[in-house]
Amino acid sequence: MKISGSYTLPLPIERAYAVMQDPAVLGRAIPGCEGLEKTGPDEYRMKMKMALASLSGAFEGKVRITDQAPPSSFRLVVEGTGRVGFVKGDGLLKLATVDGGTEVSYEGDAQVGGTMAAVGQRLIDGTAKMMIKKFFDRLAQEANAQDATE
Amino acid sequence: MATTITKTETLVGKRIRRREDPRLITGTATYVEDIQMPGMHYAAIVRSPHAAANIRSIDVKAAAAAPGVVAVFTGKDTEKVGPVPCGASLPDLRVPHHHIMAIDRVYYVGHAVAVVVATDRYLARDAADLLEIDYDVLPAVADPEKALAPGAPAVHPQWPDNTAFNYHQEGGDIAKAFADADVVVKQRITSQRLVPNAMETRGVVAEWRGADRQLNLYTSTQVPHLVRTLVAGMLGLEENRMRVIAPEVGGGFGSKLNIYAEEALMGFVAMKIGKPVKWIESRRENFLTTIHGRGHVDYYEVAAKKDGTILGIKLKIIQDLGAYHQLLTPAIPTLSVLMMPGLYKTKNVSADIVGVFTNCVPTDAYRGAGRPEATHGIERMVDILADELGMDPAEIRLKNFVANEEFPYPTATGLTYDSGNYAAPLDKAMALADYSKILQEQVEARKQGKLVGIGISTYGEICAIGPSPATPAGGWESATVKIEPSGTVTVMTGTCQTGQGEETTFAQIAADELGVDIDNILVLRGDTSIVQYGIGTFGSRATAIGGTALYFALQELKAKVKLFGAMLLESDDVTFSGGQVTCNKSGKTKGLAEIAGATYRAMKLPPNTEPGLVATHFWEPPNFTFPFGAHIVITDIDKETGDIAIRRYIAVDDCGNIINPLIVDGQVHGGVAQGLGQALWEQAVYDDNGQLITGEFMDYAMPRAHMMPWIESSHTITPTNVNPLGVKGVGEAGTIGCSPAVVNSVVDALSHLGVRHIDMPLTPEKIWKLANAGGTN
Repeated sequence: MKISGSYTLPLPIERAYAVMQDPAVLGRAIPGCEGLEKTGPDEYRMKMKMALASLSGAFEGKVRITDQAPPSSFRLVVEGTGRVGFVKGDGLLKLATVDGGTEVSYEGDAQVGGTMAAVGQRLIDGTAKMMIKKFFDRLAQEANAQDATE
Repeated sequence: MATTITKTETLVGKRIRRREDPRLITGTATYVEDIQMPGMHYAAIVRSPHAAANIRSIDVKAAAAAPGVVAVFTGKDTEKVGPVPCGASLPDLRVPHHHIMAIDRVYYVGHAVAVVVATDRYLARDAADLLEIDYDVLPAVADPEKALAPGAPAVHPQWPDNTAFNYHQEGGDIAKAFADADVVVKQRITSQRLVPNAMETRGVVAEWRGADRQLNLYTSTQVPHLVRTLVAGMLGLEENRMRVIAPEVGGGFGSKLNIYAEEALMGFVAMKIGKPVKWIESRRENFLTTIHGRGHVDYYEVAAKKDGTILGIKLKIIQDLGAYHQLLTPAIPTLSVLMMPGLYKTKNVSADIVGVFTNCVPTDAYRGAGRPEATHGIERMVDILADELGMDPAEIRLKNFVANEEFPYPTATGLTYDSGNYAAPLDKAMALADYSKILQEQVEARKQGKLVGIGISTYGEICAIGPSPATPAGGWESATVKIEPSGTVTVMTGTCQTGQGEETTFAQIAADELGVDIDNILVLRGDTSIVQYGIGTFGSRATAIGGTALYFALQELKAKVKLFGAMLLESDDVTFSGGQVTCNKSGKTKGLAEIAGATYRAMKLPPNTEPGLVATHFWEPPNFTFPFGAHIVITDIDKETGDIAIRRYIAVDDCGNIINPLIVDGQVHGGVAQGLGQALWEQAVYDDNGQLITGEFMDYAMPRAHMMPWIESSHTITPTNVNPLGVKGVGEAGTIGCSPAVVNSVVDALSHLGVRHIDMPLTPEKIWKLANAGGTN
């Protein structure tokens, strides 16, 4: 499945780039994330809960950040497995300064397998889009909240 | 007390209700799931979520320690169990070793990796989630044409071309046929993967009685005796130490004409734990792991004269086999080749099959098994040819039919068509459809911008499968008839009905032959300890072969009844009819019950006669039978939505003599429902990574009752001389005749827009695009 889209974060480009690589912020912004733990340079172990149609389950996975070119782009590689299947994703995120902040455009490939693929196919696309939007919404909120306390 | 029940009315040919239905429709029948035993354990099977992966490690510790769990077995534990058998043989066939569970590599999503056994089914299921399996995911290929492309991932690393076999067959002079042709039409035609979806999923109960050295296996199958022979072999158990019971079977459609890994696996588990164990396939497992049907990509070329005479047919079949061969997987497309000339007399054919491995669940027999694919192909091609030549589809068919006086007709593919009157059902269907009027109506409708289609298919099929030399497991069938001392009659058949109604039809045959009331007759099947031996129910064979075996057993028994009757009446001049033996001189009679009692009491025996009234007959058919028919479908297409409405569905089937018209109609209706499913809605879709993305009824469009049109079913009757009953078989006819009639109808509705072919299923999206943009599919 191809995933692509864009979102404008109300942050300057360097700040946007930084929050997107901050494990604490990411842990709170990723929908369903129940823990993000650094396991190496730019490598994290993640626990998350996901619901898709009648299925819900816990996933354990790895998140890797590669091909970093601050502040304009980086690649995100995600792998998760759980009782209801597995998810694999690989995407390039590009950042660009626009009016009102930074536009993050993303383009990638996601693979879903196991029970989730067999029974949730119709909903995967919509769910993925919803989760991505939630992620960015929270990221913006997080950044705003951080800025307010700083 | 010996009572004599006689009757004068005959039952064969009567529309009588099915005797098995009350228990089926009141939910009181006993299926595998209903088998309960003290100390029953339950198995949950852990299956691969990947289409191709190496198994790095499996950690069973957490699962084994979970509440209620008594054992966890992985593929390494079951490595010594024999492979899942492939009964088909073709020259140079590549047969991958099909372990009952994956050992170090998985080959398709759903491939069994481990089994968890617990005292409760939910505890087993919960514990199954605790297995930690480390997979090294590999590239997969799910499409047969992509699998043949250079550089495609190898399903089995030892065979990088993914080719299981190449098969070639030809007859006549195909080169000359094409050289002499005025016109050649070509078309790529697919027959998509389908999920058979029996109402009852598979299930197995295995009980090991160690002290008796006896394995009892209850399984939802069409072939209990083959399961016993083959699964005993897989388990290394003497065949006579195994009993297989198929209790009520809730549909099979070919998907239970198989030997499945789980049957041997449950036997293995029961023998290991010494307790009975039950596994019931969930619907999701059924989608992923029970065989699929069809999976063809066919390339057709038909050569013809300008007047419509078909000179020759070339066919290349690309058969999606899946990752393994199940019992008959590679043999199914060879049936397509046998059937490729259809009802037409061309003597020049050439066919090639490429059997292709993919990272998908295996394909195998599904209602029609190879014949629907062939019929769909030739019936589409004849329409395309008619279109090319500007001929009427009915006219071109009538021109090419094998003529009545040519039977028995040797075909280009080596068959001998037994009997036929091919124009009769077409004429009848055209009369029912008021063909010339509807053609006129179509012209008017087009003027008003409405889309009306008229589709014809005239199908033939290979039934009563089949003579033993032509089948992998023996093609005969058996019957035992026992008249008990009290005069009740027990029939034991080697067929194994999964809804076809033999408890009624076989009782009708026996009731007429013995002249007893149908309520006195019990038909038993599906238990290897009760039934002598049998092949099973598939290939529209049960009545034509099993019914004939019954007929011959009854003749033997009748002769013996007459002999004992004559002895009791002290006369040589007696007649047996209406359930009694009558002395032709004195008019004195002896009823069946009295005679039966005397045969068992055996105070006196006729010379050279044994006591008792039991006869067994194993009947070997001399040929297949070849039913045929004509279906006409009239469709109205909604240009705005692409929706197809079936205005009329006319099915005229000729299955030879009819034992019970109600049951024959039911078979036609069910067959048409499955044909419509393929034509309009159903498709099993794997994504590029080998994930089945139509894995439940929300995504797999199973036909519902409300989607069915009214089916106008009628018959012509051309008996066969292959068997004394004159019956041919009808289980698959509806499916075979249906899909080309529907597609021909829809293509016809759109033909003035330049549409020449549409691949199934005819989803509204496809139809809307064609209806609104024109062009070809």
